[in-house]
Amino acid sequence: MALKIKNNKSKFAPEFTGANLFHKKDLQISLVLIAVGSFFFYEATKFPAPGMILGDTINADVFPKILVVLLIFLSSIIPFEFKFAAAKIKKIDEDRSNKIQTITWITLAMLIIIVFCSSFLGTILTMVTTCLVFPIVWGEKRYLAVAIYSLLFPLAVYLLFNKVLSLYFQPGLLKIFQ
Amino acid sequence: MDAIIQGFTLLLHFENILLIFGGVIIGVIVGALPGLSSPMAIALLLPFTIGLDPVAAISMMAALYCAGTFGGSITAILINAPGAPPAVATAFDGYPMAKKGQPGRALGLATIASVIGGIFSLIIFIFATPLLASVALSFGPVEYFGLSLFALSMLASMSGKSSIRNLIAGCVGVLIATMGVHLATGVERFDFGIEELTEGIHFVPVLIGLFAMSELLTQSQTLNAVIQRMSAKSLKLPSWKELNQLKWCILRSSGLGTFIGVLPAEGSTVAAMMGYNEAKRWSAKPELFGTGCAEGIVAPESANNAAAGGAMVPTLALGIPGSGTTALILAALVMHGFKPGPYLITETPHLVYAIFGAMLIANFGFLGIGLVGAKVFSYVTFIPKKFLWPSVFVFSLIGSYSFSSSMFDVWVMLLSGIIGFFMMRNGFSPAPLVMGLILGPMVEETFTQGMVIHDSSFFQFFESGVFLIFMGLTVMSLSSPFWSNIRKAFKSKK
Repeated sequence: MALKIKNNKSKFAPEFTGANLFHKKDLQISLVLIAVGSFFFYEATKFPAPGMILGDTINADVFPKILVVLLIFLSSIIPFEFKFAAAKIKKIDEDRSNKIQTITWITLAMLIIIVFCSSFLGTILTMVTTCLVFPIVWGEKRYLAVAIYSLLFPLAVYLLFNKVLSLYFQPGLLKIFQ
Repeated sequence: MDAIIQGFTLLLHFENILLIFGGVIIGVIVGALPGLSSPMAIALLLPFTIGLDPVAAISMMAALYCAGTFGGSITAILINAPGAPPAVATAFDGYPMAKKGQPGRALGLATIASVIGGIFSLIIFIFATPLLASVALSFGPVEYFGLSLFALSMLASMSGKSSIRNLIAGCVGVLIATMGVHLATGVERFDFGIEELTEGIHFVPVLIGLFAMSELLTQSQTLNAVIQRMSAKSLKLPSWKELNQLKWCILRSSGLGTFIGVLPAEGSTVAAMMGYNEAKRWSAKPELFGTGCAEGIVAPESANNAAAGGAMVPTLALGIPGSGTTALILAALVMHGFKPGPYLITETPHLVYAIFGAMLIANFGFLGIGLVGAKVFSYVTFIPKKFLWPSVFVFSLIGSYSFSSSMFDVWVMLLSGIIGFFMMRNGFSPAPLVMGLILGPMVEETFTQGMVIHDSSFFQFFESGVFLIFMGLTVMSLSSPFWSNIRKAFKSKK
């Protein structure tokens, strides 16, 4: 690993090997974390002063500020971590060298859409939709099994949580049948 | 003695026994299924236990924790895919033994070693918890601040890919915990004008997101993975003669596992790996390790189950989680209105002994499951991912919504899951974040109290000897991974 880094002449080497001075991918992560930390620090400076009765002994901003400074300090080390923990960073690089597959992005989008629609659909229809859509989008070809699963699983969850444990299920669209 | 009897009596209700066995079965299933884990199961169960009797709810989770550690060994042995990280070391020799045509023997060794390791640590747990709590009772806020700093610093050596990333995740967890109204001053912090954030971010949706949703996204990349599976017709318990030969290996690993479990932030995975390495170092035939030798199975199994009991000691006596899963049990205690720490055993000793009893029952429970149901439980690996993970999503949705009947919590859950997925891809592990989130309020509270006592002078904290000791330990634990890395880097250059 050390040899690879030494021979690397470009400043921004491929992510897998890291650069001469800093690791490209980790530098990006570090910058994001520092930006988030700075934003939180700025927000902390806007906290109102506590009432007179508390004096200067307790300030709501002290602890978060210390924490953010620590976070920024640690984040600034990440781009150089490959210098002193080469084996560990190599392992991380191996993991992230595999591109996120299209199906994962689709899954992510489905999760957001289902959560977005869940207030409108209601709990039961959200469960049915989830059990129906996910397997099919993921390439399940046994449609009868999917149909049975998308009916029986939500039914079992409904009976257990709503009827036995008295959990409130939002009716959503099913309200029209009530 | 009265408290012990009271604790055990509480468990003897039919409903409680049923819940404990339910916890054992869920634990073995989630432990056996690659991708599912006991922290995830506890995170998903948390919101549903609100209506339960607190003792029963906590006991069920403690039982699930014990059984989950064991469950991972079933798939580690039969399919070479450890269901849970603590079972990784079990696969080193368990799978080769199964391939040699002795899967039943491998499962039998793992079961017996798990039970002995678990019971060994529970004996330590029952004596060490009150002792540690009595020491901690003399601690003031400054000493507690030192202790919680030490616990957070242990995140650096927690099992994960990078010490610095673990510490960053811990910092982020503590930072999230600072959101909402600051109780000492009434100042609203980091609410960004969002009404729901004035109460802060509750840990339950975050835990569900980090453990369940991020894993769902990870698993979506391996939906069509085919696994080769050994079939175990029956479980074969080791003979007395064989057990006699392995007794020192099991006892040494159990002791080591308990000790590692007691250390804040260290968990069963580290214990299993160390148990395996130590067994190899002490073995008369180290060359047999990796080829399916009995010592290579019993050492990690007794160590990881012992660590589960050991991790409960600091969790209950100090309020400092001994591992990622015990951080969730700590969260459950808080959710049910208990204040974890030394006062837990002085004020509610029956709860501590009930947890002890539940873990004891769980150990015998998974012995029974191992004897009669290992084959059945190995079939859970046949559940197709395409049906399993939508079910996990349904439970995550209901769990995060039902906690406070708020869609805001569902979005928090989803966002935590997405962030957790990208965190894991970049070497950040969710467990330190959870530890930070759970320990955060305690760290800030003790820091604030200390500052008030010492008139805002942090340097006066160093007048306390106990604080100095904890600071010394903190410096040691923070620097140890870096020194070893630097030493390795120098060696490789030479």
